[in-house]
Amino acid sequence: MSRYLGDDWILPTLTPHNTPFFTAGTLQIQFCEECGHAQHPPDDVCYACQCTRLVFKATPGSGRVESAAVVHHPVHPVLKDRVPYVIAIVSVDGAPGCSVQGNVVGCPPEAVKIGQRVRVVFEEATDPASGTKLRIPQWELAPGA
Amino acid sequence: MHGRAVVVGVGESTYYKHGGSPDTEFQLACTAIRNAAKDAGLELRQLDGLVSYMDYRNSPLRIAAALGFEELRWSATPWAGGGNNSSAAIQFADAAVSGGYAHYVVAFRALAQGQFQRLGSGSGLLAGGAPEGLSWGLPYGLLTPAQECALQTKRWMHDHGVSQEALASISLACYANAQRNPRAVRHGKPLTRAAYHASRWIVEPFHLYDCCMENDGAAALIVTTPDRAKDLPGKAVPILATAQGLGPDIGINAFQPRWFSNMYYENVGRTLWQRAGVRPTDVDVLQMYENFTGPVLMALCEMGFCKPEEVEAFVGGGALEGPDARLPFNTSGGNIAEAYIHGLEMVVEAVRQVRGESTCQARNVELSLAVGGPGYAPGSAVLFGAAS
Repeated sequence: MSRYLGDDWILPTLTPHNTPFFTAGTLQIQFCEECGHAQHPPDDVCYACQCTRLVFKATPGSGRVESAAVVHHPVHPVLKDRVPYVIAIVSVDGAPGCSVQGNVVGCPPEAVKIGQRVRVVFEEATDPASGTKLRIPQWELAPGA
Repeated sequence: MHGRAVVVGVGESTYYKHGGSPDTEFQLACTAIRNAAKDAGLELRQLDGLVSYMDYRNSPLRIAAALGFEELRWSATPWAGGGNNSSAAIQFADAAVSGGYAHYVVAFRALAQGQFQRLGSGSGLLAGGAPEGLSWGLPYGLLTPAQECALQTKRWMHDHGVSQEALASISLACYANAQRNPRAVRHGKPLTRAAYHASRWIVEPFHLYDCCMENDGAAALIVTTPDRAKDLPGKAVPILATAQGLGPDIGINAFQPRWFSNMYYENVGRTLWQRAGVRPTDVDVLQMYENFTGPVLMALCEMGFCKPEEVEAFVGGGALEGPDARLPFNTSGGNIAEAYIHGLEMVVEAVRQVRGESTCQARNVELSLAVGGPGYAPGSAVLFGAAS
């Protein structure tokens, strides 16, 4: 699908920490191989047991809206025709203690409420530096939400 | 309860609208420090320490050279964030003089947002792709402090049944107090509750008037020991206690369930009250950094001034407005209506309250508290005691 904020809006610069999240096409979260702790954003050390054996794993791709806010002021000229848009914090099923940021697409911004169930969808883009195909996680309201 | 360090001088530049300063940022910094030295009765060459925060442009070496310091014996800046460190700067100055590392330490902050980019606008983030720390939010159009604090505030209002009126009360108190302060950029521009509600949304639940201003200006305070202060002409204002808080790193960590929703002031309050041996109800006058109104409400609750379920009554009905308020609050107008000098102008006002020199002077001030910016860790606070 095309990008919620338009194809001219800024893309993530890929790094070892964020490449799985932005390219896998599944909702990737970092887990500790020693103790099973899930953490986001990813880091070099497990925040629960301090070990360094960390891996990325796909989660089921569903979650819950923990907060949502409608943005009216465009912080960049590229966003002038995109406001109002909704930003959201989503807690990730299968990754206890982890929330991610995103937009909730496919509905009016004001329709997004705290507590709603959402499921992941992906925006497609290309990393201009490497040509890597990006699949940027986004959210849509779950059926019946 | 006693101070091992005291503030002996405060100084400011004129405060201007964003882009309104005829002086460069460095000139503004030098002006504020010169005014603080004059206020203290010190020669510039006697100053030997410099502390600031989030200031990557006005190097202490450049300032010490330009102002003719005989020597520079202490320079420091706290890690992370921005205005959350406005009171931490005083803690570092206190640590320097009470540890004997320097004699007269200046805490300063200068901002010329016309000369340089606007703080908080996100404009500096957009050249090239989003670096890793920002990549979690930037592709989603989630990049400014207003947006981050809005997400925190929305959840907190939802959980505790707090209405928009409580946010309005913070802004209205700042504007009411600024009408008494000729230095305030919004002096002569009173705000009504109706005008507040009619103002445009920036990001819900923040209207335009829920957000701090953008300004040009500089502020400075000079810290020394009580012994050295005895040789100076003015009143010395004791630093009774300071605290920095723990919390997550700036950015996405802040949205993790462990921290959400949170302004990172619970442990700042706990540490401060413990060190000073006082309670929130003992505070005579409060300056609390408003990046946005919602975070002020949250930080008030986290520091123990009231419970979230009580906050509407605590801030409503003019309870924060004027010198005779139940809790005189942001008496100069604060970041919202005096000027946004990254909160250091509010620490200056906290000192002014102890000296009896505010344009909205509270009565019998024995405890004057300045709290740094909420929402970004480490938070910080400084409690001043009665002048001697």
